[in-house]
Amino acid sequence: MTLDAKQWLERIQALPHRGKVKIMNVCGGHERSITMAGLRKVLPDYVELVPGPGCPVCICPEEDVFEAIQLALHEDIILLAFGDMLRVPVNVKKIQARTMEQAKAQGADIRPIASPTEAVNIAKAKPDKPVVFFAAGFETTTAPVAAMMLEGVPENLSVLLSCRLTWPAIAMLLESGAPGFDALIAPGHVATIMGPEQWQFVVDEHNIPAAVAGFTPASLLAAMYSVLRQLNEGRYFLDNCYSELVRPGGNRSAQTHLAKAMNIYDANWRGIGVIPASGYMLNKTYSAHDARKRFPSYADDARKRAGKMPPGCDCTQVVLGKIYPNQCQLFGKACLPRNPIGPCMVSDEGACRIWWAGGMRESLQ
Amino acid sequence: MQDTHISLAHGNGGRYMRELIEEIFARHLANPELDVQADAVPLSLDSNDIMFTTDGFTVQPLEFPGGNIGSLAVHGTCNDLAVAGAIPKYLSLNAFIEEGMEIKTLNRMIKTLAETAADIGVKVVAGDTKVLRRGEAGGLYLATTGIGIRNGHVLSMKNIKDGDVILVSGPVGDHGIAVMLAREEFGLRGDIQSDAASVLNLTKAAHKFAGLRFMRDPTRGGLATVCTEMQRATSMGVRLNQSQLPVRDAVQSVCDMLGYDPMYLACEGRVVAVVDPVEAQALLKTWQFFEQGREAAIIGRIDSAIPYVLMETEIGGERILEELEDDPLPRIC
Repeated sequence: MTLDAKQWLERIQALPHRGKVKIMNVCGGHERSITMAGLRKVLPDYVELVPGPGCPVCICPEEDVFEAIQLALHEDIILLAFGDMLRVPVNVKKIQARTMEQAKAQGADIRPIASPTEAVNIAKAKPDKPVVFFAAGFETTTAPVAAMMLEGVPENLSVLLSCRLTWPAIAMLLESGAPGFDALIAPGHVATIMGPEQWQFVVDEHNIPAAVAGFTPASLLAAMYSVLRQLNEGRYFLDNCYSELVRPGGNRSAQTHLAKAMNIYDANWRGIGVIPASGYMLNKTYSAHDARKRFPSYADDARKRAGKMPPGCDCTQVVLGKIYPNQCQLFGKACLPRNPIGPCMVSDEGACRIWWAGGMRESLQ
Repeated sequence: MQDTHISLAHGNGGRYMRELIEEIFARHLANPELDVQADAVPLSLDSNDIMFTTDGFTVQPLEFPGGNIGSLAVHGTCNDLAVAGAIPKYLSLNAFIEEGMEIKTLNRMIKTLAETAADIGVKVVAGDTKVLRRGEAGGLYLATTGIGIRNGHVLSMKNIKDGDVILVSGPVGDHGIAVMLAREEFGLRGDIQSDAASVLNLTKAAHKFAGLRFMRDPTRGGLATVCTEMQRATSMGVRLNQSQLPVRDAVQSVCDMLGYDPMYLACEGRVVAVVDPVEAQALLKTWQFFEQGREAAIIGRIDSAIPYVLMETEIGGERILEELEDDPLPRIC
């Protein structure tokens, strides 16, 4: 049975109204589709859609971005990064390069890329030059990086890995005792790779309904209908509303790649802190290609606000779904896409950027 | 010409340059007014209503499905004249060629340029070539300046009135996506053709309507940018209807994958027209009569009650379309 977006919406509207229901999504792509389709306006008033930790750019440790900038400035290398990362600001004095983009303008060889294949091609084309691939992302990014390692990378290519697992952040929120949401829309792309079962714990351990969704308004509305109906009936399960792509067990070969190339460790999330078993690092087999081992560390712990969000920036609260983007005092005032202060205003996956781009401008302050 | 690649000598003013101009530019572009020996050319235009425009072309890659920089250099400038209500008559051509460019490729671009101009009935009557050192240009940059004559009433954003209807002549975003795919940066392939084409037939037909207020070709910045410009110029809002907006499925799929919005992607063969509501249906029918306008649609209207460009989404939601901030970046997950 395939219903279109209007039909799913009608089903939601036909459900008995109840007290406020907060539904969290944990994927920038979901938030983007929701905002661009204007779903918040058409849903019944009691339904609130909260963007959660779904933007890898937003939670990439500030120290890692700083490290990448310093490497590019001080070492004779080519630094490659996904386009979104280039404009993430770090906390340094005004005269220093605050972003990779600024470091690039100062002469560092920094190039935006869109896939690991490009990194390999660039390294092959310049065999005499060290190439560092600064890879930040969730499972969906990490799996292709792992596949790249397994296929064999040129000697001159190393990886500055800043990759994270999605579910531990949700586990942390749920274990905090105040998760701030009543139902979860689980990320479609991540579930395609890792399998929907990864989100079973939300239902089993925390008694919260969950549904995996795709990226069309119809798929998102189907998932919302599912969790609302589950709440009404008091019978919770993990639904899969993206069965076209999300198969039980996920993509086994991608998971094998991850297992063969990566170890999991307790990793730092920007503004949030260390989350147990939430980060990927290259394992022993591939550690020779770890940029952190190849190059000296430029970490500067004495740096003012090292690792933190900029002063006044509420990105942490936005990432954790504690507040909406327009509740941040900087949103749309000091912090704009042209001059982003916090990381959530930089990336197309960032909630602040998405809300601004979608014209959700009214500040709630 | 014996050379296979452009060298700095082809810009030296001597024999190499003369050969390049004669054997590539003059050969393809030949017409009675084009005199490669003259410093300036006399033109006769049987009108006092002359329109004048200029544009530069730096597209990468130089060739893409549905066109190349040569066809683009003609369409770009001629379309700017066409949407202003003019019939293009004459072009000038500046070519900035990078040292090392294959002469065969250059020849192909200029041949296409000449054929495109001939199709539209516009003559290239003045030109200049420069050779830039290796690394200083992306193979070939072109600039064209165009003169046309207007037959009909003046079109301007100033004419736009509350309630006027907005039409687009065909699907948006084809050119932007076709060029992006041709760069092969994303490991994506597709058979999306650029819409690059002359819009002269469409604009000539539209200009016959007395209620036609304004036309524009939604190039860089796309349809959204045309709308935000109208909003700023008129201080009236624009209300668009997403379900009426023509976007090819293939274009939408690539957009979904990479995080682009077709509303902001460049077209090179489409027209946006603002027209008196009384004539909107008639103009739509007129456009749909042309092959190029078969998928034309009424996509919205001017609405003075709102102070922004509002898109009513297919599901009945709303979102505001803003000015494009920066070059859209690919997503990372």
